[in-house]
Amino acid sequence: MGARRVARSGGPEAQSLLPPLSRRALLAGAGVALAAAVTGCGGPAAPTSPGPLRVGAIPDQDPEVLQRLYGAVADALSGALDVEVEYTPVTDYAAAVSLFRTGDLDLVWFGGLTGVQARLQTPGAEPVAQRDIDQAFTSVFVVNAATGLAPSDDLTALALLRFTYGSETSTSGRLMPAWFLREAGVDPQGFPGGPGFSGSHDATLALVASGSYQAGVLNAQVWRSRTEGGAVDPAVVRYAETPPYSDYHWLLGPRAAERTGVPDLRDRLLDFFSGLPAGSPVLELFGAGAFVPVQASDHDRIEEIGRDLGLVS
Amino acid sequence: MTAVLDRAAAPPVLRRDRRRWAWGVGAAAVLLWSLAGAGLFSGDVVNPGGTAQFGRFASAALSPALDAQFLGVLARSALVTVAYAAAGTALALLLGAAGAALVSRTTWGRRRAGWLAARGVLAVPRGLHEAVWGLLLVNVLGLDPWVGVLAIGLPYGAVTAKVFADLVDEVPRGAYRALRAAGAGRPAAALYGLLPPAAGGLLSYALYRLECAVRSAVVLGMVGAGGLGYQLALSFASLRWEQVWSAVYALSLLCLVADVAGRAVRRRLAAPPPSSRRDPVLTATVAGTVVLVGWSCWYLALSPASLVSERTAAQLAHVWGAAWPPATDGDLLRTIGVLAVDTVQMSVVAIAVALLGAVLLAGPAARPAGRSSSGRRVVGALVRGGLLLLRAVPPPVWALVLLFVLMPGVLPGALALGVYTLGVLGRLAAEATEELDPRPRAALTALGARPVGAWLYGVLPLAAGPVLAYALYRWEVAIRDTVLVGLLGAGGLGALLASELATFDWAAATTVLAAVVVLTWLVDLVSDRARAALR
Repeated sequence: MGARRVARSGGPEAQSLLPPLSRRALLAGAGVALAAAVTGCGGPAAPTSPGPLRVGAIPDQDPEVLQRLYGAVADALSGALDVEVEYTPVTDYAAAVSLFRTGDLDLVWFGGLTGVQARLQTPGAEPVAQRDIDQAFTSVFVVNAATGLAPSDDLTALALLRFTYGSETSTSGRLMPAWFLREAGVDPQGFPGGPGFSGSHDATLALVASGSYQAGVLNAQVWRSRTEGGAVDPAVVRYAETPPYSDYHWLLGPRAAERTGVPDLRDRLLDFFSGLPAGSPVLELFGAGAFVPVQASDHDRIEEIGRDLGLVS
Repeated sequence: MTAVLDRAAAPPVLRRDRRRWAWGVGAAAVLLWSLAGAGLFSGDVVNPGGTAQFGRFASAALSPALDAQFLGVLARSALVTVAYAAAGTALALLLGAAGAALVSRTTWGRRRAGWLAARGVLAVPRGLHEAVWGLLLVNVLGLDPWVGVLAIGLPYGAVTAKVFADLVDEVPRGAYRALRAAGAGRPAAALYGLLPPAAGGLLSYALYRLECAVRSAVVLGMVGAGGLGYQLALSFASLRWEQVWSAVYALSLLCLVADVAGRAVRRRLAAPPPSSRRDPVLTATVAGTVVLVGWSCWYLALSPASLVSERTAAQLAHVWGAAWPPATDGDLLRTIGVLAVDTVQMSVVAIAVALLGAVLLAGPAARPAGRSSSGRRVVGALVRGGLLLLRAVPPPVWALVLLFVLMPGVLPGALALGVYTLGVLGRLAAEATEELDPRPRAALTALGARPVGAWLYGVLPLAAGPVLAYALYRWEVAIRDTVLVGLLGAGGLGALLASELATFDWAAATTVLAAVVVLTWLVDLVSDRARAALR
């Protein structure tokens, strides 16, 4: 029987090049190796102080662009604050919020809604700064050309189309468009077959271009950059743009100052961001003219709308 | 031996088995119901306008991103994936060995209620997909590498416990009884009377788990645990198909190495060389695997301390406080009911697609016994390579690209899962075909039957049993995978879970998770009964 032979220890006539390995030796060796591995990894787990400032961002754009963006931010920040700065890419919106709560990320570039979620779950978190364009951010409704719809401000025409949002808790790809749809008398969850969630602004564009979804909505900044880059399929046309609302901002975690050993971290971050000279590479990468201070109350409306639509609990 | 001879001597039964007949009709009805639910009989399901988008995905397969920098990133990511797979499997085996002692019939003896309860407890970790475990653990452990290791180790540990217990229970009891009769205690008798004869099966299954863990580690990467899946998810989010394909090829290579090595070792276990010495290849495999696990722990910087740190306790309290008691409002329960139906339909369509494909491809994919023409060998290698690619592209990617050419609904998710499952089932079916008795077919061919006839009468009747059993087994897996496809947007309970997790409505998420576990358990039960009817 094969199984029995496998388990059998070295037989009496063992004549291999290697000395016969008894079961006891094998088990002991394996045990020692495992023990060594466990103790080897069981090094000091306590955070050594001062630790680096860990920066993250919601994945609302091309990860490669984000990597470049935050590479530049990390370098500039590290130079200005004289602390080590690390950028950690995150794959989804909720993970960014969770990692901010667990303290794995200290300073995160959140959208309006995710910022509110993160602040409510992390007592002591403080908003630091936002871009000038975030004070009046907009979303763009797009339709497939085959629908024959001409650009208009009347959102009710969208009610009968197969419609996709971006990510579930995106402010510009879900929350605010849903709100403006409801204001216009369209049930934001009532599209034929239910609304889709493409997961990202780029996926929304591709799905509307394919015609699987006849209409969708995305971040106006992404729409402009893709149109200027010529990356938008001609089958996708702009239908309407929402009124402005307050969106993206930097949120600082409560334990960041202590961990990095910089007591006035928030003020120094604000000085750094608002003091960036016009034309600095960081501003250019962020597509902004300047960074301005932001208060938690600036996002009260987002919080209210989020509660209303059941996206903030 | 006598039992086998008795069975062979029994006169063949030519009656139609009523039970199988009932199962067959039932399966056909469920399939029709699922296809109707997927909208196949009502209106358009195909969207020809999206062929350009689909074409962009398909044509990128021929021009994967090959710049040195990206390949470097992929190579480093592959190491992370391997490390997660190895460390996760090691944990699963430890948990499985401990769990097997708790759920084996040997432990419980005649106390059937206790045995059933212990098995029921295992259904909870087993019913949730690794990705779901990953998402939950991120909320407690943050970026700690334990997230990936536990997300593989916990569900795999539960499956392993069940399989290990079954293997040990099926071993001939002579030695065990003799030891007991000679006065040995139960643990000692089990250790020396049951474990040694079961060791080959246990080792073989452990290696199989390691192969599976590689694919799981990739899926975990897609929800953020790092490694190849993580790179794939990042490229996928911005629809950089060239990079997605590079990651898929890297993953295929990894799976191929794991498959080939695992298969070689398992073959060796099944038919050891005729010598009473310890097989050096097996010794080296076990030693190598132990070293690999040690390296993985070191490479991932796993620290047991972070599992019991203050922060972990605080986060666990936070999540637990929000998640208990589960939400029970009527609206949520109704939605869960509706989506559970979607989920079942999706999994049924997926399995039907996979089974159809597997039956068609099993012949060409199987390595023919004896000599064959070079054309036949090339076709075989191509089909096997195609199946490898089908299972290397993660189901969420299939779901999005199929959504380009299909109307939104249950169908894109179902087909995505079907295509992925075909990759797995096709290989299993091919292996089952290879292991069949070659004589009926040879006899038919020698009598002048054409190849199609020889296949229909000499292969199909023999292969149907094992292939259907595999399909039923994959159905259990598919129902868990529907949650994964849904998590990334294709509907069903997974989509609901994704939305509850995104809005941090933990109480509702708990209810959905409970529904998923119950659904998986029910499918497990039905599939088990159906397989019993096949035996």
